[in-house]
Parts: sequence; structure tokens; C-alpha cells
Amino acid sequence: MAQNDQALLTRLKDNGLDFVVIGGVCVVYHGGPLATFDLDICCPFGVENVRKIESAVNDLHPFHRLTANQLPLETTRSVFGELRNLYLQTDLGKLDCLSEVAGLGNFDAVLPRSVVAALSYGEFRFLNLDALIASKKAAGREQDLAAVRYLLAIKEKSEQQNNLL
Amino acid sequence: MIDQDTLAQMNGQYALPPDAGPAWRAAYEAGVDMSLIDGALRLTPEERLAEHQQVIDFLLELQEAGRSHGAK
Repeated sequence: MAQNDQALLTRLKDNGLDFVVIGGVCVVYHGGPLATFDLDICCPFGVENVRKIESAVNDLHPFHRLTANQLPLETTRSVFGELRNLYLQTDLGKLDCLSEVAGLGNFDAVLPRSVVAALSYGEFRFLNLDALIASKKAAGREQDLAAVRYLLAIKEKSEQQNNLL
Repeated sequence: MIDQDTLAQMNGQYALPPDAGPAWRAAYEAGVDMSLIDGALRLTPEERLAEHQQVIDFLLELQEAGRSHGAK
């Protein structure tokens, strides 16, 4: 199944969801050399926001990809208010929506630690480099700690270049 | 005339920049291919995301080809 992050981002934005891009795509944004096969975002939850996510992907056959029987998203509306995370498979790829980021907290804590990226297909928020490093350290998996190594190097180089200006 | 350092770089040895800081050196010594980061930092963030999309498309195509091959 294709992974099209640009299309997913655009749909989420067009449906009025406030969100910050986190995870591997955010690492790529900052210059990290990796390929990641899902799109991770942090957003506020609650029925209204989950409905916005549903509206963004409802024609893409979304289902809860971590459930054993791959429950279609539309069949789980009765528990939208109880969801704190969403791990969806859609026709445009995997979309993981989290209410909290390790080491940072919920959306209200994440938002001020984000930067606005003006891309040709719209403006989107990504975790800033320091917050991304903090979240990867807190997540603590081997792959996260590997990412911390090169994110620290990228940060150092950025600071060196800023000092030259 | 190509010197030994240049020849080594042509053969894949990464030339650690003289101004490399401790974090850059640590990542290099941990085995991170710093040339990939150098390359990514030369791109704009949007170019990085577009390149990433191309990589994903290619890898998924490769994965699918592998599956088809395995199915034969």
C-alpha cells in the first residue's frame, strides 16, 4: 500500500485538524537520513478531533491497523471519545495520531515546541529540533537513540553555521 | 595527480571536516554515514521530504517486486 505523506498532511489540514508532525518524517524534515513508512502526528483528541481525522481519511478505507480484526474506523465511532491514540492504515498509507509525545507531553505542551514549515502544498507544524531530540531520548528504543546521534550532530552543525553569521 | 587522501575518499572514506564538533565526531565514530547528513543538509526541508517520498516509493516497489519474486 502506497505511503503518501504529502496527501495525508494536506487532508488533515483541509479538515481543520490542529497537529504537529513528529517521529521519522520530522527527523527527515530536519535532515536525518532515514526512510520511515508511517506518518506520525500529535494532535488533541476528543470526539470532535477524531471526527476531523475520520473526515480526512474516510474515503481511504481506514482501519485500526493494530486491532486483530482490523476494525474499520467508521465502526468504532461509539468509542471516539475514549481514544487517546489512533494507529490507522489507509489507502494513502499508515497514519499514527498520538495525544502525547514521550518526554514532551500532550498537544498543548508540544505545540509551543514546534516550528512552522512553509511547504509548497501548505504550512505545517513540525517539532523543533530540540524537542525532537528530547522525544527521541525519552522514547529510548535503539532506533530512537541512533536518531539522537545524528540529530545532535545536525544541531551542532546548525549552531556552528549560526555562529558564523 | 591524485593524493592518497583523495583516493581514499574516492574509495568511500568519509573526510571528517576539520571543524567537526564533538557531536558530529561521535555520530561518525558510532558508524553513522555522515555524508548522507551532509547531503540532506544541503537540501531545503521540502526537498528532503520530497526525496524521502521518492525513497519510500522506490522501497515499496522493491518490496512488492520481492514479494512477487518470492511467490513464484
